[in-house]
Amino acid sequence: IPKKKTSSYQFDIVTNNNHSCSDRSKWAVLQALASTVNRDPTAPHYMFQDDPYLTPRTSAEFKLYSLSQESGRMAANHIVNKNPKFFQKDFAEPHIPCLMPETMELCIEEVSEAALLERIMLRKVKAAVDMYDQLLQAGTTVSPDASNDLLDLICLYGDRDPVQDDKPEAEDVQEEGRRRKGRLRRASDLVRIVWRENNNAERIFNLLPERDTRAYSALIRGMVKYGAHVKAFNTYTDMLNNRLTADVHTFNALISAAPEVRERYTEKWDLIVDLLNQMNEQKVKPNLLTFNALLKALRRCGSLARAQSLHTLSEMKAMGIAPSLASFDHVLGIFYKAGQTDILQEVMTEVAGRTFVAQDPDDGMPVCLDTKDIEAAYKVHDLLRVGENWRMLGDSFQQSIYYGRMFNLLCMMEHIDVVLKWYKELIPSLYYPNPQGMRDLLQALDTDNRLDMIPQIWKDIRRMGHDNKSDLVDELLSLMARDKHSPEIQESFAVCALDVKSLYEQGQGARMALEWTATAMTNITSVLLAAQKKQQAWDMLKLFKTKNRVPSEELMEEFLASIKSSNDPQHAMELVQISASFCLPSTPKLAERVLQAFELSEEQKTILSELEVSTEVSE
Amino acid sequence: MVGEKVIELQDYVKMVAEQSEQRVGVKMEGVTESVKIEEIPVKMDSEKMEEIQTKTALLPIPEVKLEDVKESEEMKEIMLASKTEEVKQKLEVTMAVVKEGETIVEIQVKTEEVVDVKKEGDKVVEEQMLEVNKEEQQTEAPPKDEIQPVKSGKESLLDLLGAMKVEVTNKRKFKALKVQRTSETAARPMPAAMESTTSMFQEATGMADVPAPAPSETLSPELVAAVSAAAATLPSQSQAESELLKKLRQHEAIGEAQKNGDVNNIGVIIADMKVGKKPNGRQNARPANQIRFDEDGRGYTHDRGITAELDGGLRRRRSLFSGKRLNIFTPSTEPEADTDIAVPTLWDMELANQVALSTNQMPRNGFEEMIQWTKEGRLWQYPINNEAGLEAEAQVPFHEHVFLEKHLEEGFPRQGPVRHFMELVVSGLAKNPYYTIQQKREHIAWFRDYFQQKEEVLKEAEVYLN
Repeated sequence: IPKKKTSSYQFDIVTNNNHSCSDRSKWAVLQALASTVNRDPTAPHYMFQDDPYLTPRTSAEFKLYSLSQESGRMAANHIVNKNPKFFQKDFAEPHIPCLMPETMELCIEEVSEAALLERIMLRKVKAAVDMYDQLLQAGTTVSPDASNDLLDLICLYGDRDPVQDDKPEAEDVQEEGRRRKGRLRRASDLVRIVWRENNNAERIFNLLPERDTRAYSALIRGMVKYGAHVKAFNTYTDMLNNRLTADVHTFNALISAAPEVRERYTEKWDLIVDLLNQMNEQKVKPNLLTFNALLKALRRCGSLARAQSLHTLSEMKAMGIAPSLASFDHVLGIFYKAGQTDILQEVMTEVAGRTFVAQDPDDGMPVCLDTKDIEAAYKVHDLLRVGENWRMLGDSFQQSIYYGRMFNLLCMMEHIDVVLKWYKELIPSLYYPNPQGMRDLLQALDTDNRLDMIPQIWKDIRRMGHDNKSDLVDELLSLMARDKHSPEIQESFAVCALDVKSLYEQGQGARMALEWTATAMTNITSVLLAAQKKQQAWDMLKLFKTKNRVPSEELMEEFLASIKSSNDPQHAMELVQISASFCLPSTPKLAERVLQAFELSEEQKTILSELEVSTEVSE
Repeated sequence: MVGEKVIELQDYVKMVAEQSEQRVGVKMEGVTESVKIEEIPVKMDSEKMEEIQTKTALLPIPEVKLEDVKESEEMKEIMLASKTEEVKQKLEVTMAVVKEGETIVEIQVKTEEVVDVKKEGDKVVEEQMLEVNKEEQQTEAPPKDEIQPVKSGKESLLDLLGAMKVEVTNKRKFKALKVQRTSETAARPMPAAMESTTSMFQEATGMADVPAPAPSETLSPELVAAVSAAAATLPSQSQAESELLKKLRQHEAIGEAQKNGDVNNIGVIIADMKVGKKPNGRQNARPANQIRFDEDGRGYTHDRGITAELDGGLRRRRSLFSGKRLNIFTPSTEPEADTDIAVPTLWDMELANQVALSTNQMPRNGFEEMIQWTKEGRLWQYPINNEAGLEAEAQVPFHEHVFLEKHLEEGFPRQGPVRHFMELVVSGLAKNPYYTIQQKREHIAWFRDYFQQKEEVLKEAEVYLN
């Protein structure tokens, strides 16, 4: 097929396996149907649809429910695989292999090559090594294929048995393509396996009668994977001395290891170029992973990286290899370190409207929202809606990071109406904001004068379980108390404030209680005052005393003004007495104003003047 | 003549001021302004102008003169003071631009302001507005003007408004300022809404679009009107207006000076204009179309000026792939046959595993879940096919299933009861949809074995005829 010569870079998706087309048609009907279903922003995620009781409301619940669903499935699988004899009846016609128990136990006991292959297939590293040794001791020769498979196995797992719990899961992923283990980082991932000196891989490698490219490749890849970078390069030289050529995987591994074995940026780059030249000499065709490894290595080459990464992209184009998202991610990383943000625009124009298929473990939506560029954020979001690109966003943890940043950016940059539109769209079906996200929203409301939305937002805050975050509640209260609004809004604020108050009161028994702060109390009281809820406000004032908090002078002033409007000398007296009991410095002033403003009985007057004097004396 | 114009101007200013009171919401009661223009005889001559343009283009740009800025800032300070003290005050500002003792233009702006400021909190707002205002003034002389300062009134007005349009996005700026303010003093009352600034800009430009081609005397009334309209969009309107008018007059004065053949003075005027441009030089260093950091340190704004849009249109973004390449590999034209398709190694499986883990595999709706099940082989495939699960038989033609007599050719008697029985078996098998062809053959073979084993018995009974 003659390629069109157009200025824009046309990527041809090369499908190596022809049968993928016929595979596709198996679910083409379902795909067409699925594309007609739009997301319902008011509904929870599909996986929670079965049981409304388990609809998550907070991110913690989301995590808990989705993980428990998954772990339930895994437990069932585990039981089936552990007790295959109880699950032999095959109901399905035609036969469905994935419903049948998998054989996890070793069946072949005798010492033979078949037993070795079985152990390799079941990924039992130690047992396989033992079997190999027994075979050698018995004097039987092992076929080169089997020994290479064994070497692959040992190098892949770094001469350790894979974690037992991990194993059924990992196999599920391959066969079903839907199980996922990376949701939470396990401790076992963090404990790095290191390449030990003279481990079984090296030992068996040395025992091999003839070492071919595949054996070297396995050894080098294993060494790179488990951090023996220098050793990997030594093995590579050894390999060249034996007049063997490396394969593309070996070079990929070596390129990714290159930054580890050199100190200076130029030296690193020289080594990489050297490797690439050797690749060319050995007629090894680079693949996408080669260039991604190259770009990833360039991230650690400092100032060299920028020019060279662009050259790399051009090289990819010349080779007809379409960059994956990981390539673009590396390029962005390189340029961002240097503070150049223009590159994002170019990358976005390049990727816009294309669908991506994951080809590299590093593939994933480049989280480029740290640029605080709302236009770019929209572009990324548009990209997310193209085809199956949403899958590239990764697991729910990464999704929450993405949506969190996006929402933060929206709150910062956009008009409140737009923010609320997105708020309805994203929350809570896709994203459960953290307290900081809600504060951003409150600030956005404040900036655009939409404080009347606060009671509604408060409901959401309660639903999302952020109502025990005292700083968030404080901020909400202070926003409500700060300005004067129309009576209706004040009324709704007062309802909201009373709700907050009830939370403070009932929370003491049940869960982590909110601690009354003076500002929170002051704010609630002034909201109640502004809504003409005198009785409740009065209750709040009394609460100050019981909670050992001191009201502010401004609050006393507000109280006095409110009492003045209703002309109630009795309350005024009481107010002054409360003020005196708090030893507020403004008490004399308050008393004086009450004396002037209200018609008081003689008795009250004397009390007031006493208060005036006594506090002055105490001062 | 001039008096008439002044009255007209006053009417206009009042009208715009009323609007601005409603829109901007800052308490300004009855802002009146009279602008006296004393002795600016300007006659525009298009031929002359061209001459000036060519001349000015050759002139080196003189040094910056700061006197002017200082004066205008002083004025602001006076105004502020008067507002906070709640007094009416008359302002008489005489601005003179002098160089080497030679007076070119003398403008006297007489401002009478009655401002009633109610809250002290508003002072802060006023200050910030002035700050914004300052930024607006920066746009008065876009870089173009440095090179071509001489333009007709209409042109310069359009320039001016065009330049102001650059900052139309300043709603963000207000927002940013507000954010800053709230974070600083959370307890203070909110300023009035300023949402409508953008629309007012549009209004002002709308007005500017229709000016009748008037003979330029001193300053055409349309021009003055448009200036005041533009100024009305700013919080401190009178000040902005006087600034704008002054700038216009400078343009005209250049023409006047040119006419007198006094070329040297152009330098002075240009110097003035440059001063007027950017008092604090904040935006100077920033190239167009770049993200820049706001002063409040919270967000970025993407500046989309007219020039930036132009730039974006003109220079098409260079592609990521247009640069040099490494020149290490030579792309081979013929696609290499992949040899390693045969058996995926453990490494390949591990890679596929990791790739699958890096993506989101959760189904979003029922259909996607059904796709998952189809991939796992748990579900019937769509479109529904009666022969699903019979893949092994897909290659077998139907006659193999139906015409089974050929299997009776060997090992069975040609005639007799056994043959008859087997014909019945074969016709039964031909109608059986459940057996594969292999099973059918095995079925027949079983009978063949059976009858051969029983051959003697059958021969005794004389039913095995061959």
